[in-house]
Amino acid sequence: MNREEILPRLQTELGAKLLRWHVKSPKRLFVEVAPEHIVEVARLLYDGLGARFQIASGIDLLEAMEILYHWAFDASDCLLTVRVRLDRTRPEIDSLTPVLKAAEWIEREMWELLGINFRNHPGLAHLLLKEDWPEGQYPLRRDYKKAEYPKPADAHD
Amino acid sequence: MTTDYLHWLAQVLVFPGLLFTASAGLVTSWIDRKVTARVQMRVGPPFLQPWYDFLKLLIKETIVPAGGAKWLFLSAPLLGLGAVTLASTIIWRSQLAPHQGFVGDVIVLLYLLTMPAVGTVLGAFSSRNPLASLGGSREMKLVMGYELPFVLAVLVPVIRAKSLRLGDILAVEPSALAASGVIALLVSVFCIQAKLTQVPFDLPEAETELTGGAYIEYSGVPLALFKLTKAMMLFTLPVFLVALFGGGMGLQQGWAGLAAGIAKYLGIVIVLTLIRNTAPRVRIDQAVKFFWGPLTVAAAVAVGLALGGW
Amino acid sequence: MGLALQILTRSLNVFHMAGSACNNCDIEILDALTPKYDLERFGLVLVGSIRHADVILLSGVFNKKSALRAKLVYEQAPKPVVVVAIGGCACSGLMFKDSYNWDQPVGRYIPIDAYIPGCPPKPEAMIAGIVKLLTKLRSA
Repeated sequence: MNREEILPRLQTELGAKLLRWHVKSPKRLFVEVAPEHIVEVARLLYDGLGARFQIASGIDLLEAMEILYHWAFDASDCLLTVRVRLDRTRPEIDSLTPVLKAAEWIEREMWELLGINFRNHPGLAHLLLKEDWPEGQYPLRRDYKKAEYPKPADAHD
Repeated sequence: MTTDYLHWLAQVLVFPGLLFTASAGLVTSWIDRKVTARVQMRVGPPFLQPWYDFLKLLIKETIVPAGGAKWLFLSAPLLGLGAVTLASTIIWRSQLAPHQGFVGDVIVLLYLLTMPAVGTVLGAFSSRNPLASLGGSREMKLVMGYELPFVLAVLVPVIRAKSLRLGDILAVEPSALAASGVIALLVSVFCIQAKLTQVPFDLPEAETELTGGAYIEYSGVPLALFKLTKAMMLFTLPVFLVALFGGGMGLQQGWAGLAAGIAKYLGIVIVLTLIRNTAPRVRIDQAVKFFWGPLTVAAAVAVGLALGGW
Repeated sequence: MGLALQILTRSLNVFHMAGSACNNCDIEILDALTPKYDLERFGLVLVGSIRHADVILLSGVFNKKSALRAKLVYEQAPKPVVVVAIGGCACSGLMFKDSYNWDQPVGRYIPIDAYIPGCPPKPEAMIAGIVKLLTKLRSA
């Protein structure tokens, strides 16, 4: 899969579902799709184009919540980033875990830190935060206020 | 009769038994650490360091892990300590008075010198810790690996002296002067390295990998006894090799003989230390293949040569 | 106890516990244990198991999740044991004191005997801190 073939292939397969694209440099490609089609895009990239899922990153922009899925084409040395924008009041998206086992933990992390609900995820449990972290508190949201924790009973000062 | 028993008890506990072997073992471990430091171009610990380490462990708390077998956990170190004390006593008695040994004491020594490894295995499995079980199972496999070539190598001086008594082996010409003896000595140096669980065969106690391995749950007095056993083995095993292959520590030949004996003993200790400093750790399957493959073949060749008279 | 402390200060097993560190202090600790500084001539040896430890070196900012585990590990060390906090994060939390995942310095979970500040402290600073600690123990 040459670098020049990736974007035309995506345009043919996805058609109108490919909302925007931007070629930043020969090695770096950015596309945007709607959240409903993310599983189809993942299947296309993984099975059809032979890309490797690297990581996903989520961020709370005040107008929306954005997830970037980073895919690598190792043979042609190029990176593709797929962007989706979610409604900030009720952020929800289909989970990629049924298609890619590799997405399981990063989706757990995005859920516990940003509050994005991943439908059909096999088990959304805490990954980095304490097991008894209070419900509904998502630290990486812009409107998160750090709660005061009481000093432990056997503190040493 | 009572004086005989008291005499025997003094021999086991003081000289050449527990106190003498323990002190000599701690000095030998200092030599090992100093040579290691010099090879790594640094200064190294002071002379009394092994004594400080031992005494410090005696003042620490002894913690027994919950759910483990408490009596086995606390008594496993005593097995190795007792065995190496008796082995050292027998070896030195044979050198001080060769005609007073008994036929078959070489076989008894071979058995006694496997007991420290058995003690480690028992201690590891009574710790109720998965890393300790890994260390213990590796120690078991290692013992099964090196015992075969070691016994074959020990067979060479026995064949040359035509006797199973250590005193008779000391009386004949040293085996290291013959071709079969040289091969057997090289084989047994590798087996000694594994008996002491030193690099490249220190899998049971792999520090960076198993974080302490077989000894992970040990603390305080039992750990002090384990470390003391290892130091005593570091002293006893080279002396055993010198007695089997080099004609003994030269106690019957005056001061010159004793100096030559000490030089041979130090030579083996320094070879063990240099191997320890220059080799990486091997995996358990590589170690067992090494012992059952090239070393066993070499030891069998040595036995064949000894039977043929070379 | 005086003689016991004297012997303890001459043979110290060092155990290194890092709690969510950036690892710079960990690298400096390993530097201090290399042949250039040669801590073995003072009797200091790095060990892998907490049950063999006499000195626990804490490095890194211990967040809410790892501070509880650090306390468990401290309780497993056979006493007497000495705890040293290395680096600004272990001493006080440093720049992470307003983070969502940190609530108090690890010194409130584990009693600390010596603080070695720095980001990261040089091996010379660590050696100076350890020497001060040993002097304090020997005169106790």
